[in-house]
Amino acid sequence: MVTSLGRSVLSFIRYLGELALLAQDTAVSVVVARLRVRLFMWQMFEVGWRSQLVVIVTGMFTGAVLTAQTYFQFSKLGMKSAVGSVVAIALFRELGPVLTGLMVAGRVGASFAAEIGTMKVTEQIDALRSLGVHPTDYLVVPRVLALLCSMPLLVAESIGLAIIASYFVGTQLLDISAPYFISNLLRYTGPRDIKMALVKGFCFAVIIAFVSCHQGLTAKEGAVGVGRAPTEAVVLCSLAILVINFFLTFALNLMFPYGN
Amino acid sequence: MIAVRHLTKTLGSQQVLRGIDLQVKRGDTCVVLGRSGSGKSVLLKHLIGLFKPNAGEVWVDGEEISRLPERQLGPLRKKVGILFQSGALFDSMNVGENIAFPLRESGLKDAKEIADRVAEALEMVDLAGEQEKMPENLSGGMRKRVGLARTIVSRPACLLYDEPTTGLDPIATDSINRLIRRLQKRLAVTSVVVTHDMKTAFHTADQVTFLYEGRIYFDGTSDQLRASPDPVIQDFILGRSGDSD
Repeated sequence: MVTSLGRSVLSFIRYLGELALLAQDTAVSVVVARLRVRLFMWQMFEVGWRSQLVVIVTGMFTGAVLTAQTYFQFSKLGMKSAVGSVVAIALFRELGPVLTGLMVAGRVGASFAAEIGTMKVTEQIDALRSLGVHPTDYLVVPRVLALLCSMPLLVAESIGLAIIASYFVGTQLLDISAPYFISNLLRYTGPRDIKMALVKGFCFAVIIAFVSCHQGLTAKEGAVGVGRAPTEAVVLCSLAILVINFFLTFALNLMFPYGN
Repeated sequence: MIAVRHLTKTLGSQQVLRGIDLQVKRGDTCVVLGRSGSGKSVLLKHLIGLFKPNAGEVWVDGEEISRLPERQLGPLRKKVGILFQSGALFDSMNVGENIAFPLRESGLKDAKEIADRVAEALEMVDLAGEQEKMPENLSGGMRKRVGLARTIVSRPACLLYDEPTTGLDPIATDSINRLIRRLQKRLAVTSVVVTHDMKTAFHTADQVTFLYEGRIYFDGTSDQLRASPDPVIQDFILGRSGDSD
């Protein structure tokens, strides 16, 4: 029991070490190697444009349902006009970045791990190395940079759409007054909330990029190995996003305190 | 050109190479024979720095490469090309783009020169005009030829072949063997061919090395190999398992 626990802890520390080495190698690559602009632009398209459907649907329906649920509870207390601000703060500070992070982890993280994993087991990564091309320069850097650039924008888009959906549900389907909705929303949300959302989005992009690329680069031989890489990438990214979000919330509340 | 000294390598719990010493002269073709799992491919991948040894040295063109970090292996890899067992073509690129890849990565920008060199490499492997095909539409033999074209397009001084005829029919095997021989004459490269195919060995080798249980069991010419009375070697040449029916 103790041995097994010790082994798990050691293997977790080893895993964190591997992630740190990959991050270090990526940082070195950004400095010393040339950026492959075409690959970067292609990854921007893959990550940013191809995630549009999931981000739009997630944002709009989260905003809509959160508004409805908040309205149902707040109307009993006679606080209908506070719905807009409560929904907006929840979206900016938690739901927007976390749900977008989870959706992007599912779509983009799985795709990174599957592509790189397939290249690994079919010797394409060895072929890159044999041709004098560092796999980090060619495979990891364009993906990491594309995700770091796209993710804050996707989070912002998701939150924006969620608030628009919230406005329509609140003012058109439910009986919240439009001027109250907007004035309360503007009064209780500010640049600190936007900054918090974007910082969280950036942090989740770091997690998704490195965890997924690492899963691909360490994929085991055979169909089972390649099949496991995206599944494990999504599970690990999702768990990491949820756990790290908890600590980020406390840290970012110190940096961007609510109400100041 | 290539020298390996006291090379040992352990993968997982298995010691794959147990003190290999090997020397290949410039312009020669060395065929490394051995049963599946005897460590031939592992040895080959050490020669281009794809594996790091547990102990021992690998010298290529006067430079000890086994301790070099990955980023410093770039210049060596311009001198040494490898043909992988599966061809290892980039499946997101067509044949022409695959072959042009090392040229573009080395900084060549002139589209006409790239196209000419791709066409020349394809002609050398008897696949002239196949630039537009995607890897998934190629047969096993064609994939290996395209892989070879990608390897020779940057004109390396040394070529490594990892099981070039495995999985091919006898006619494709013969065609690849002739191609290897033809490239040796045309490009005058040093070659190391890993195989368990005796026809490839006898057709292409100046020097034959037989790997057995992680060690060099025989090193000599193909005639000496054929004449060896050693039962292990004779069983391998004749394909005898020693099992009773």
